[in-house]
Amino acid sequence: MAGTYSDVVIVGAGPSGAVAALELARAGMSVTVLEQGGWVAADEFDGARPEWELTQLRKWHPNPNVRGRPEDYPIDAAKSDINPLMFAGVGGAALIYGAHWVRFMPSDFRVRTLDGVADDWPFTYEDLAPFYEYVEEAMAVSGLSGNPAYPDGAPCPLPPLPMGRVGRKAAHGMNKLGWHWWPGSNAIPSRAWRGLQPCVLRGTCGTGCSDGAKATPDRTHWPEALKLGVRLVTGARVGEVTTDAQGRASGAVWTDRGGVRHHARGDVVILCANGIGTPRLLLMSGLGNRSGLVGRRLMMHPYAGVMGIFDEDLESWVGPAGQILVSMQFYETDVSRGFVRGAKWNCMPAGGPQSFRAGYTGGTLTEGWGAALHESVRRKFGRSFEWGIIGEDLPDSENRIVLSSSLSDSDGLPAPEIHYRMSDNTHRMLAFHTARAVEAMEAAGAIATEVTPLIRDCGWHLMGTAVMGTDRERSVVDPFGQVHDVPNLFVMDGATFPTSSGMNPTATIMAVAARSVLHLIETRSDLSPA
Amino acid sequence: MTLTQTERARLSEFARIMLPGGSGMAGADDLRLWNDPVDRVLAVEPALIEPMRRILATLGCVETLNDIETVARTDPEGFKALATVLANAYFMHEKVRAEIGYPGQEARDSSLGLSEADIALIDKVRSAFVTWRRSC
Ligand SMILES: Cc1cc2nc3c(=O)[nH]c(=O)nc-3n(C[C@H](O)[C@H](O)[C@H](O)COP(=O)(O)OP(=O)(O)OC[C@H]3O[C@@H](n4cnc5c(N)ncnc54)[C@H](O)[C@@H]3O)c2cc1C
Ligand code: SF4
Repeated sequence: MAGTYSDVVIVGAGPSGAVAALELARAGMSVTVLEQGGWVAADEFDGARPEWELTQLRKWHPNPNVRGRPEDYPIDAAKSDINPLMFAGVGGAALIYGAHWVRFMPSDFRVRTLDGVADDWPFTYEDLAPFYEYVEEAMAVSGLSGNPAYPDGAPCPLPPLPMGRVGRKAAHGMNKLGWHWWPGSNAIPSRAWRGLQPCVLRGTCGTGCSDGAKATPDRTHWPEALKLGVRLVTGARVGEVTTDAQGRASGAVWTDRGGVRHHARGDVVILCANGIGTPRLLLMSGLGNRSGLVGRRLMMHPYAGVMGIFDEDLESWVGPAGQILVSMQFYETDVSRGFVRGAKWNCMPAGGPQSFRAGYTGGTLTEGWGAALHESVRRKFGRSFEWGIIGEDLPDSENRIVLSSSLSDSDGLPAPEIHYRMSDNTHRMLAFHTARAVEAMEAAGAIATEVTPLIRDCGWHLMGTAVMGTDRERSVVDPFGQVHDVPNLFVMDGATFPTSSGMNPTATIMAVAARSVLHLIETRSDLSPA
Repeated sequence: MTLTQTERARLSEFARIMLPGGSGMAGADDLRLWNDPVDRVLAVEPALIEPMRRILATLGCVETLNDIETVARTDPEGFKALATVLANAYFMHEKVRAEIGYPGQEARDSSLGLSEADIALIDKVRSAFVTWRRSC
């Protein structure tokens, strides 16, 4: 088997792998990054082409089972209420993320102390705040500083994107009710920023930015990392983290697209393959599972939506998409509501005309065709928008990934099999929040509302499956991502999260990765074998 | 791989019923949707041809949406492909886009930022809220 050596081997070239690789390279270490996907150039995305809505049904679909590219691994989600979503490529799932950029709230780090459920994090919001600031600069976050939902106002380096007619309409409704809202913060530059173009509000963020605007690691991190000498190998599917006779990680075995196996050796191995890919690798390698928690406590953020329909033209296909507004009105626990924790709301444009046709909403196969289709498009298109609701998912050890015994990827490696059921707490939470969102729509003047109680294709946020903590019996990694059982093996993605918050997680994934990797750099001499 | 004349004729039966036109929007007939507009979709997504063909090969006349529902139930995947082809052919058509006032996902200036009216709305929030809760 052909072999190479570098100080550090990283698996995954998404946001977390990008942060880790760049900091290590800046510190002068040699780094090899193994990524199963490839590079995607901006002009490959279809946002500016008329077939944009067509190609999102397969080519740019967020579910790897639908996309079915050879670099994707399939996922058996038959025993899950939610489909996990992701993208394999340089930039990871961020290539198709909405770029909603939100910090977790202070209370998110203290869930056990405040609400008596789940676990506290081993550090606080205040500890993480400098790392948030650091990654927000790199990710060109546009927004309005001073959000009263945060103690420090959640400052943003770039001014906000326009709110547009949709944002103004939603804001009026919220002000009428006296409810919290704030202009959305997004990892989308409102001005040219380093290597990024200014956003042109094309609104196709979720299927890739064809304008080179959205902040994705292939633009924000990898160019500098490559200049500093990082070796980024694409089309490299890792099947195993190898160990030496002392049980220390010695590298990773990977297969190229021609089926040839290689061994990337390193003194340190860092897994950044996301909340599904990382536990899959740990399970395939038989590592780090003394606590029995590898793959368990999977959290995916059940998502509900309320669409409001208005009798005026709101141009609701205009971007970003992206969040136009956010609300944290019902974010914190109020036990009188019958559940603990809460949800963030994001106000989103409704998109192109295809979203209003049959087949998207269930019902009979032909429902919504014929005259009904024309009426529906006339009534809703451009005249509706959504309050999306991200419910905090509490950890449950029965919600887990295991290795499938019947399904495998294109290299013959076992696919992940997902066991995930939404909790009663979450059901009650989403019911409460959708009812409030209907009120918000009505206050804004909606003539009709449509509630989607749970969207199955909503597993955008993958967390919890290699949980961090100080107790080796109750966690997989320490507070800096170091695997308890294997001192030179690290996890630096959302798998380490003790709880999920009700926020989109990438800001926190990148901030925690920065915190972990800078600590690794500081303490690297302690990692040498005794 | 293109559709045969027989297949196009069969597709036109479905298209006329599913997209009859109305509410100020053209119908499939006006656009001859089963010709160039459908070819444009299939050129981008050729994988839709085979499942759609299965539906087009079914026998029996379709005159109403109920007839189509019956056919669709025999092969939901095939029908999904046919529906996807027709809907995309329809909404990618310039005439339809003009009728519904949709310029497509066009580029606009994002540097305009917030207007004075927006700031006035935000000031209300600024003065009213402290929703975060201390973490200790
Ligand atoms: C459609 C969609 C919309 C989203 N919207 C938002 C949003 O608006 N805001 C937000 O905060 N978050 C959003 N997310 C989530 C966000 O994309 C993720 O939180 C983020 O990408 C996680 O970064 P990561 O580097 O940890 O993992 P990923 O981005 O998933 O990257 C992991 C990388 O590892 C690679 N990999 C995995 N296994 C292997 C292996 N065995 N060998 C080699 N390579 C491997 C994968 O190919 C992938 O490129 C969205 C996600 C999706 C799918
Ligand atoms: S809205 Fe902005 S970031 Fe999103 S796809 Fe369009 S140009 Fe890119």
